[in-house]
Amino acid sequence: MTRQFSAVFRRDFAAFFKTYAAYVMLAVYLVLSMVATFYFGGYFQLNNAGLISFFRFQPEILALLVPALTMRSWADERRSGTIEFLLTQPVGYLLVVLAKFAAAWIFVLLMLILTTPLWLSTAVLAAVDNLNILSGYLGCLLAGGAFCALGCMVSSFNKNPVITYIMSVFVCWGLSSLDLSSVFGGAAAFSDELLIKITQALNFSKHLQDFFSGHPGTDSLIYFAVVIVLSLWLNLAAVEHKKG
Amino acid sequence: MITAKNLSKSFGNIRAVDNVNFFINKGEVVALLGPNGAGKSTLMRLLTGFLTPDCGETVICGHNVAEERVEAARKIGYVPENAPLYQEMTVFDFLSFTATLRGLSRTDFRNNLAEVVSRLELDRVLGQRTETLSKGFRRRTAVAAAMLHKPKVLILDEPTEGLDPNQKEEMRAFIKEYGARNLVLVSTHIMEEVDAVASRVILLNRGKLVRDTSPEELEKISPRGGIAEAFRQLTGGI
Repeated sequence: MTRQFSAVFRRDFAAFFKTYAAYVMLAVYLVLSMVATFYFGGYFQLNNAGLISFFRFQPEILALLVPALTMRSWADERRSGTIEFLLTQPVGYLLVVLAKFAAAWIFVLLMLILTTPLWLSTAVLAAVDNLNILSGYLGCLLAGGAFCALGCMVSSFNKNPVITYIMSVFVCWGLSSLDLSSVFGGAAAFSDELLIKITQALNFSKHLQDFFSGHPGTDSLIYFAVVIVLSLWLNLAAVEHKKG
Repeated sequence: MITAKNLSKSFGNIRAVDNVNFFINKGEVVALLGPNGAGKSTLMRLLTGFLTPDCGETVICGHNVAEERVEAARKIGYVPENAPLYQEMTVFDFLSFTATLRGLSRTDFRNNLAEVVSRLELDRVLGQRTETLSKGFRRRTAVAAAMLHKPKVLILDEPTEGLDPNQKEEMRAFIKEYGARNLVLVSTHIMEEVDAVASRVILLNRGKLVRDTSPEELEKISPRGGIAEAFRQLTGGI
């Protein structure tokens, strides 16, 4: 089973590089991240020995780029017909779903690793709170994981990679920017406290901010785990019921 | 080895496979014959577990496909209609990938690879990316991948489609040889293929099984004789 997982994982991961999409993606991600950090984030003006200006724009950048990574994971299998080859092998569907998700998530990890020189150079210039930065990176990795799972899920419903990309960006961006507590907060006078607590618990950016501020709670970890598990479960259901 | 019981599958209002029943034993080469849209590919997808039937069941070598899909898949080698391959892989990589999915040990892979490569004459394209292969080699690669684990049941969807006459001849010889020791189910709408390889014919029309007989018996159906005539008569052709 491990060998089968590893085979599907390696195929998907290698496919990113064989089509050169990976190199373009890495370059675009690094350029966007650096422009956002130094130009829009005001890295030098903030006078803060941390990476706040870097982390601030990561949800938007990842929501834009991760769907480009996952758009082909299932849509391409459907379009080219290889899904029929893959799903008639003696391999559990869950294993294939997890392997494809893992390939995309590890790529996100690679993207984040490539930004660590910024961390190192900041550490050289000033005394930084390394744990705080590590927590921020963990937040980005979890957000990236959630986007990968959502992207794979959307991809499993579609045949067309372009439509998959647009829908995935919509879902990822929507999830990361929708502030449910402010939506329901406006009607606070009419809502009970429980409703407000629930909307806050569902707030993506609130949980991510917990990581960026260096104080991630168990609720934030659970939140991202739930988003990932739920998306992958829908992905599995789509694969099982919409194979042709 | 293959049992299909009351198999039915609809897509919206279209009944693609309608209450199909048959049993196929070891040593048979069965041609699944029918006009375009008869439900041949859908039936094959139901047999391999790729599609779930609306009702009915498939049993492959004692394994119910709905309940033991993975176990049943171990016994099957399947080549879908368009012989899909991963474009970015070389032929060797694709075969190696398939062997890993099939759970073959390295030694078994090496031994079986040598055998299928020589049988299907793939040696000169082993290092070539599959996207650069001709149609004939693409199909042979897909057949090689389906045979790597020496399946007891080989299911081929239109295996000679797009091949040149020489390649067709080679593929048919291979099917006949493999079917003598195992079970081969071949879908086709080409009459000469039935003559060349099949020991039995299952004729489908509009999703329904209209005849399950030998090629010799099928020939006798039409007063003018010949499988093509019988095919036309049974499928409502002119």
